[in-house]
Amino acid sequence: MAERLEDYALGKRATNTKGTIKKVGLVGGGSMGQEIAVEVSKAGIDVILIDLNPDRIEEIKGMISNLLDIRINRWGMTTGDKKAILSRIQFSTDFCDLVDSNIVIECINTKKSVSNIESRKEVFKSIEKCVGEDTVIASNASTVLIADLAIVLNHPERSIGIHFISPASSVDIIEVNKCVITNQVTSDIIEKFAKVIKKKIIHVTASPGNISTRLIIPLINEACELLMEGVGTVEDIDNTLMLGFGMQLGPFALADKIGLDKLLKWMEGLYDEFGDKKYKTSPIIKRMVRANLMGKRTGEGFYIYENEKRRSKAGSIINLGREI
Amino acid sequence: MQTEEVLAKGVVEKIGLNGSFLKNKRFDGDKLLLEGEILDHQIGIEYIVGVLISEKHGCIKSLEEIDAVGHRVVHGAEKFKASIRITMEMIEKVEQCSDLAPLHNPPNLKGIYAIDELLPNVMQVAVFDTAFHQTMEPHAYMYAIPYSLYTKYGIRRYGFHGTSHRYVSHRCGEILGQDVKDLKIISCHLGNGASIAAIQGGVSVDTSMGLTPVEGLIMGTRCGDLDLGAFTYIMDKEEIGLSAANTLINKHSGMLGVSGISSDMRDIENAVEEGNERAKLAMDMYQYRVKKYIGAYAAAMNGVDVIIFTGGIGENDINTRGAICLGLEFLGTSLDMDKHSELRGKEAIISSDDSKVKLMVIPTNEELVIARDTMEIKKNSIQ
Repeated sequence: MAERLEDYALGKRATNTKGTIKKVGLVGGGSMGQEIAVEVSKAGIDVILIDLNPDRIEEIKGMISNLLDIRINRWGMTTGDKKAILSRIQFSTDFCDLVDSNIVIECINTKKSVSNIESRKEVFKSIEKCVGEDTVIASNASTVLIADLAIVLNHPERSIGIHFISPASSVDIIEVNKCVITNQVTSDIIEKFAKVIKKKIIHVTASPGNISTRLIIPLINEACELLMEGVGTVEDIDNTLMLGFGMQLGPFALADKIGLDKLLKWMEGLYDEFGDKKYKTSPIIKRMVRANLMGKRTGEGFYIYENEKRRSKAGSIINLGREI
Repeated sequence: MQTEEVLAKGVVEKIGLNGSFLKNKRFDGDKLLLEGEILDHQIGIEYIVGVLISEKHGCIKSLEEIDAVGHRVVHGAEKFKASIRITMEMIEKVEQCSDLAPLHNPPNLKGIYAIDELLPNVMQVAVFDTAFHQTMEPHAYMYAIPYSLYTKYGIRRYGFHGTSHRYVSHRCGEILGQDVKDLKIISCHLGNGASIAAIQGGVSVDTSMGLTPVEGLIMGTRCGDLDLGAFTYIMDKEEIGLSAANTLINKHSGMLGVSGISSDMRDIENAVEEGNERAKLAMDMYQYRVKKYIGAYAAAMNGVDVIIFTGGIGENDINTRGAICLGLEFLGTSLDMDKHSELRGKEAIISSDDSKVKLMVIPTNEELVIARDTMEIKKNSIQ
């Protein structure tokens, strides 16, 4: 019989592996799912990424590979790092493959412009059917309350919100929000998880939008107001916040990076919840989403994107910045 | 220990990651490779000790046979000038040095804690990678930046590979039958990491690595000396932050960065033979940089008696070693091509008999130094 390492353990500690995070499941292979997969794998943890659309799997693999190539080209990692990261990420269309995960994070991203809370609930149910009783079930949703998803679970005490902010590789925080029924074991596992993937936890009392989305949305809306009133140009408004207050990106560049369709969904979520005008989607953003000017992803939003470079649009905002 | 015979050697790798393993080789050739979960350094040490006392693959019968444990500790900053018995007070000081070696000192400490728990009555000794270079004078170790940065953060040159430079320089004295105190030695540790040291009177007077191991020679993936103006210019042009900039100079540069082929000298030499020009350029740069430092250190010591080659490349790479030695004749060296071109991984003098400056190959043995220091400190504590 082959020898086992455990046979050489001197203390009890070595064989006691309870509570260690060996595998993390992700449901949803959109941009956030991809970024989280990379961050988790980078920390040496196995990842199983579920996407229900079999045609998408190859595409997602390619996109993760591209994501890593960009990091290599920008000197952030080596080809050896890329190989190791990819080797730890498995893909599947079957929820049953989540079975031995210690944590499963829902990070779906539907393209529909309606709230996706129902889809998220379905995903939560499907996850619970396939995983063990001690698996933590988490959601990366930013404007949906974790309690609203937890209620569909038989064991809601294992649910928790963990919100990553894009780009997950360089943002060193995650927002963690517990609902009243989240138990201590779940919180402890997430503490450990955050430590392993080297993120600082920002504890947020359950509230839609956490801190990040609540602050960013009124900022972008107010920037749109300034633009509509003709107070300044897109570039001037962005530069004021970047050069004046040391932000890495101004509100418009940020909106383009997030994606205006995603932003619209956040805005509607917060407006529904709080009913405050400051969260109501700016008409400019609505018009741009209708015209498929979603930002960086589609090549045009408040700026034009070509070859990884951003350039300003010369036209009036009445024409959504286009020159007619 | 009296015979300095190695009873077993081994490693634990990929701690805390998937695919972690333990490797052990006993004196009689018995080999063991075990894969499994090794969650942290403490557990790794438990397994190592478990293997050492096991019936099947062990080399000792019980824990009681262990008299002392020696540890390699990477950064001792200015606090440690020699190997030292580990005490609580000493551990606090090493923790204070952790800022300077965030990747190495914390795991080193974990090893110490693990042994303390397993073998609470056994003496432990720390051997520092930086200690040998603590004899450098301020004019050699200070950077010409505002002095307050030195007093505030300890920004200065510390050097590394100290245990290796110390071993080969002292061994050189033994081989030549001369007191090392009477010799001016330039020691070239050329491995995947590389550094060179000027050793006069048996002590280090200068070395090429600095606050971090990036400074000095060109290495497998580290750039070595670089104009800092170029560095900030690159950061600006490539729009990269500190983390990517660090990866750039530590992992994308050196032989890999220039050749675009590999960080491994053997791959690069194969490419040179196939006529790859960038591989040739990388080789030329590597050799030239070593040569420049040899010249500088000969000047620093007002002469040189012995040039030592050690480390994987220094011991085994005949082409690189040869190319470095040729063109140093003005110093009084004369390479014996026959001796040199047959020598791999063994102690030998490779200069001709009439060479004024001796050229030597001395395989390094850091573990032996750690064992000797540990025994010495143990012995002194008993007396």
